[in-house]
Formats: sequence, structure tokens, C-alpha cells
Amino acid sequence: MPRLNSATDLEKLRQEILNRAKGKRTVSVTNGTDGRARGSQDIIQAFVAEIEKQGLKDKVAVKSTGCHGFCEKEPIVLILPEEICYVEVKPEDVPEIVSTTLAEGKIVDRLLYQDPATEQKITKESEIPFYKPQNRAVLGNNRFIDVESIDDYIALGGYSALAKALFKMTPEEVLNDIKKANLRGRGGGGFPAGRKWETTRNAPGEIKYVIVNAHEGEPGAFMDRALLLGNPHSVLEGLIIGAYAIGSHDGFIYLRHDSPITIGVVTTALAQAEEYGLLGENILGSGFNFSAELHRDIGIFVSGESSALMTAIEGAAPEPRPKYIHTSVSGIWQRPTNLNNVETWANVPLIINKGVEWFTGIGTEGSKGTKIISLAGNINNVGLIEVPMGVTLRKLIYDIGGGIPNGKKLKAVYIGGPLGGCIPESLLDLPVDFDELWEAGAPIGAGSTIVMDETNCMVDIARYFLDFLTEESCGKCVPCREGIFQMLKILNRICEGNGREGDIELLEEISGVAKDASLCALGQTAPNPVFSTIRYFRDEYDAHVKKKRCPAGVCKMLSAVEKS
Amino acid sequence: MAKKKTKPVFIGMKLTVEQAALLAQLQEAFDSTTKTEVLLRGLELLAKSNTLSTIPALQALSKDQEVTAQPTTSLELARLEAEVRQYSNIVQQTKNKTEGVIRQVVEEISKTDKILSKYGGDSSALVQILLDIQHENNWLPRDALIWVSQKLGVPLSQIYHIATFYKAFSLMPKGRHPVSVCMGSACHVRGAPRLLDKVIEVLKIKPGQISRDMQFSLDTENCPGCCALGPVMVVNGEYYSNPSTKEIKQVIAACK
Repeated sequence: MPRLNSATDLEKLRQEILNRAKGKRTVSVTNGTDGRARGSQDIIQAFVAEIEKQGLKDKVAVKSTGCHGFCEKEPIVLILPEEICYVEVKPEDVPEIVSTTLAEGKIVDRLLYQDPATEQKITKESEIPFYKPQNRAVLGNNRFIDVESIDDYIALGGYSALAKALFKMTPEEVLNDIKKANLRGRGGGGFPAGRKWETTRNAPGEIKYVIVNAHEGEPGAFMDRALLLGNPHSVLEGLIIGAYAIGSHDGFIYLRHDSPITIGVVTTALAQAEEYGLLGENILGSGFNFSAELHRDIGIFVSGESSALMTAIEGAAPEPRPKYIHTSVSGIWQRPTNLNNVETWANVPLIINKGVEWFTGIGTEGSKGTKIISLAGNINNVGLIEVPMGVTLRKLIYDIGGGIPNGKKLKAVYIGGPLGGCIPESLLDLPVDFDELWEAGAPIGAGSTIVMDETNCMVDIARYFLDFLTEESCGKCVPCREGIFQMLKILNRICEGNGREGDIELLEEISGVAKDASLCALGQTAPNPVFSTIRYFRDEYDAHVKKKRCPAGVCKMLSAVEKS
Repeated sequence: MAKKKTKPVFIGMKLTVEQAALLAQLQEAFDSTTKTEVLLRGLELLAKSNTLSTIPALQALSKDQEVTAQPTTSLELARLEAEVRQYSNIVQQTKNKTEGVIRQVVEEISKTDKILSKYGGDSSALVQILLDIQHENNWLPRDALIWVSQKLGVPLSQIYHIATFYKAFSLMPKGRHPVSVCMGSACHVRGAPRLLDKVIEVLKIKPGQISRDMQFSLDTENCPGCCALGPVMVVNGEYYSNPSTKEIKQVIAACK
């Protein structure tokens, strides 16, 4: 494929791709992490073989796509343009789908999604209750894109935002748009991306760096992975636009080594973009140079912290440093470095293309746009969802998530991973909003949501998260290394039925010190699980300490004592 | 003539007191100059006749060339011969072993060199290089680390800092079939600790350990990103959703 040397070249290519695809049906098979674990590879092979066999090769294209979001029902097969959605498909079902739906245009009834509430079969994807309340501005394109094909992304209007920024806007205008849109960092802090960009832009120094933070060390979170795996070019396009606004010519995509599929997809995406002239020297003939490099790292939890991540890119162990001077001014090799999360970057092309008004039209006063949230734990529809900011948690769990399985009662929702906090059932009407959830003691973090029912013990959950954090702390500063460890010791004691009077107060005291004196956000927010579980579930702590009883029957020692 | 030593040594091999005495007597009897010749002559005589006289008889033998040896001497000689063979075997084995070790080190270094050349000797790629070595060997051999340290000009202590900092690196060989159980929060609330107990029961090793036959190693991880399947066990990169003890046994048996 020749290099694209102007915006017109890009438009021409887009028309060409669209013409090629005209009148063709598309079979899009989810092939993300969950899908693969459930045999989606075999389904894709079966489709290719069967379509060949039935002589439909010229009329149907098979796409191996990233996650569509509905993990619980994967593998999902979506027939486009009719949007017929088959769930939990097996390789044996493929011949029937090909002969009935693809050849004759009829629907295979038994593979459709059945609404558990009304027992109705639903044909169209958009009408499934799981998808209906969502607004999949960022994630939605996943289902149309074969993960290895840049053409699919271009066909959907990909890289037009880059062309617009490069040829019709100055870097200042791009920056102003992002500032006006009030795009806040999706990685956890919720810091306005525009302000961060501006600091890096204005920082002294010729060489500046931009980074995509795709670390995602949080257990129970799979947003960034799904986005990067499903639609890598949207992130890349955002990165290039950001680099243009900031005045950077080198970028890094920071990825964890343990997702080889994602690494493969991103490597391919980078190579394709370079081939088309969308990356490298003289992008689209505009004179702007930018190259991006994949940085594959191991990443323990603390590596997601910006200064630790940058130390890791330099080749040292990921230990955070005091941030009297922000990384935006002095980051990798003491040069100004702007770091944003995958989801934040993916929002950039949308804002440039659709405009600031479109973006600010979604969401609440302080939090604009949509948020990708991973729903996991004891919930019927485990999956990846994207909702406008401001949707209540109740809607999230009952309308989209389909409620709690096995007729159990919801006890709490744990938001934001190990550094987040819990929201009890009584506060479920809180909206998904950076500030409101922060005040409730459960910062949204990157957006992982773990639903807990009555069989989960909140003391055990706090203990679990601290156990996780003691292993993930880098050990550089004492309040974090020792504080979390001592808190864990006390929690272990409580869970084993040896809790003492005053332990809860002691926990609160150590939490306070760790919060105030730790070097980085990991130590400062590590006591969050303890704080928030004590705040909302003090009665459970009391039962453990005073009555030596675990109300949920989770803590092993206690249950044994109780029975004997 | 061989010098008289306090610790008698015969072509590099330690001898018992009786054997040494026998040897000395043989040397005297044959009036030979070297130890090897003594042995060869002895063996020669042994071949001529199965019955050699005792040492006094041998002395007589050297005088009149008549062979009337006692069975005990022949046994002693046979034992000596066997021990010489054993000794030469040991020498050969040690040689092979050393060669094996050398070959292994050379292999490791050439593999490491390939990896190093991929990154063009860039010391900021240290973590990537170590990751590649880990992927290649399933662990980080010490020789490879020393080589990396010399090639990149990074102190070995700094390499060990990184190698011990991450759980993903192992300074011990891992089992052929890595088994891991997700302990992420979503799996935790769905009963990951119970699954881990089951796996421990079947494999009879704890997280971080390797089975005695080097076939399996058990680890815990935090979220491979398929929460809908939780709790998850991962064996050889294959995901198993909440397997029962019976299913775990089947999966493990299938690996063998």
C-alpha cells in the first residue's frame, strides 16, 4: 500500500475501502480474552471454511474483532448490516448460521439472546437490555473492526480527526478544544487532560514525550485491554493528535507483557500506521514528525503510577519519586512527559471530530463524556460497558448488569479496584461521577466495579486488598511498606478470630499515617479499602472482634470456632 | 622407581593399605620401573593363567617363570583392574559433564546474545531483555545474567534488583507446565481461594513451588482479564472456568 501524502489521499483511500465492502455482509466474531478462552478461534475457522464450502466467499467477510462488551454470553457472532446477534455460539452451530442466515437471510431462533425477565427472544444487538442504556461512543466501533485491519478503522472515518487537526487546526486550537471539553483522565486521578497537556507544552525543553498508559494492573479491570485490543488505532490516533498539540515527536505505549495477544495487535497497528504514513516522518505530508514505540513491561501494580512508569521506561525498577516537580515538566530522562490512560487518548479523536459541544452534552456538571466500566464479581451480566457519566449505580447493576445471580441480595459495590472503596446498597442511587464517588469514599479509579453479595465478608475483602497491596508495594517508603503490612497483620488477626479490643481504632490510626506520609498515590490511597469498609460496615468488624463471628461465614477460623 | 609416599596413590587413584602393599610387592617382584607396566604385566600373567600364586609365590614366579599363583592374588588383580576401569569411567564422565556444562553455558550465552542484538545493546531495554530471557528459558540462568551485565555495562547488582523485584521473573527453573490460579478481586468474590485449595490438593505443591518431577509449577496471578469465567485456573495458557477437583485432576493428567 502506498504512503498517504495528504488529507485527500486519505479520503480517496476511504472511498476505495468503502466501495470494496459494498453489498457485502459481515460476520463479526468476538475474539477478545474471554472469547478466546471459550473457543472463538475455532468459530472463526469454522466460518471461513463453511463460507468457502457454500460458495459465499464473495458476499461475506469474516472479521475477528475485539470485545463487544457482553463477556457473559461470549462468543458472540454479529451479522452486519442487519445487526443480528447470536450469543454463546459453538463451532457446531456455524454451518446452520451460514446456510440459514447468510445464504437465505433467515434467523436461527435458538441462538438469539433471551431476555431472562420477559423470556422474549431478541434479534438486534442494540435492543438487548444489556446494551440498551449504554452509550458506546468509544467502545462501539469494536464490533466493526477486524483487529488486524487498519482499513476497517479508516472505513469508519478513522484518522480523519488527525487530518483535521493537522491541516485545519493549530496545536493551540487542539489544546483549547480538549481544555474546553474538560476531558478528565480516565486512569484513576480524574485530572483534566487539557491542563496536563498545557503544562508539558509550556515546559522548557526541545524534546518532549507522550505516553499511553496501558498498564492496567488492577484486578477485575479489563477496560484498557479491551479497547487497545479491539480498536488500537483509535488510541494511536488520539496519541498522535495529543503529540501534535503538545509538540512532542516521540511516544511510548506502555503495555504489560502478560497479554501477548494485545502486544501482537498493537505491534501490527504501529507497523500499519507507519506504512500508510500516519506515523513517522512527515505525517500525511503535513511536515509533522512523530514516532511511537511499544514498551513491553512486566508491571506490578505500582508501575501504573506515572513517575514509577517513567522510571521503568528508563530501564530501572519502577519506584515512584517525590513529585514536587510534576512529570509533565520532568519525566522520562528529566524531560517533559505527558502521560494519559488508554481511554483518555481514545476520547481525543472523538472530541476533535464531533466537536466540544457534542462531548460536553454528555455527562454531568463536573464529569463530561462517557466512562467505560468493567462489571465483574457476583453479577449476572459480567462485561464491559460504556455509560454516560451521571448514570446511577443502581441502573448500572440492575438494568445493565441484570442483577445478582442465584437470588442473592446485593451487599456492596466495590469501585475502583484495590485503591477504591465500597458503596453499600443504601447509596446505590449515587451517580457515576468523579467527584460524587470521591466524596462517598469510593473514587472511580479506572472504572472497575466488583459486585458483592451477602456471601462476601467485607473484612475479608479489606484483608484481601491489603494482601494484594503488600505484594505490589515497591517498598521504597516506610509508611506504605510497613503501614500496609501492619494493617494486614491486624486484619489477619481479626479474620482469624483473634481480634482485640481497640484493633479497629488502631487500623484507623495507621491508615491515617499511611495516607498522609506515603510518597505516591499507592501508599496514600492504600488504606482506602480499610477506611471505606469500616465507614460502611463497622458492624461486621464489631462482630469479628467482639463476638468472634463472621456474619457472612467467609473467614475460615471463625466459622470453625462457631461450629464447634 | 616410585617414591614411597605416606598416602599411596596408584595412577591417581587412592588405594587401600592392602592394595598398596600388594602393589609394592608386585613392583619388587617384577623389578619394573613404572606402575602401569606392573599392572600390565600382572594382567598379562592373569591372562596366561587363572591361578596366580600369592605374593611369596609371585616372588618365586619372577625367579623361575612358573605360574602357580593363589586365587587370592588373582582376585586382587581383578579388583585392581575393575577399579582402573571405574576410574577411567569417572574421568570420562567428568569430562562429558564439563563439556555438557560448557555447552550449556555457550548455548545460554548465544541465546542471550541473540536477544541482546535485538535491542542493540540498549541498557534501557534491560527489563525487555530479561523478559525475553525468561520467556526463552522459563527462568533466568545466572550465566545469562552475568553475560547481560557485561554486555550492557550494567552492574550485576542492578540486574538482580530488577530480577528479584518482579514476581514475573524466576531465578529457579520453572515446571514444564505452568499452572496458575487467578486471585484477582472478581475471582476472589467468586471463590478463588477455594479453587486454589483444590489445585494445591491435586498438585501437592504450594504457590511458588515446583513439583519434584519438574513437571508443574504453581503460581497465583492477579487478573488475566476474563472475569466472566471466574474463578479461573490457567494451565499452559489455556483457561479453565471454575473446575472441580475431578476436572483439575483430568487437566493435570492430560499434561503428563
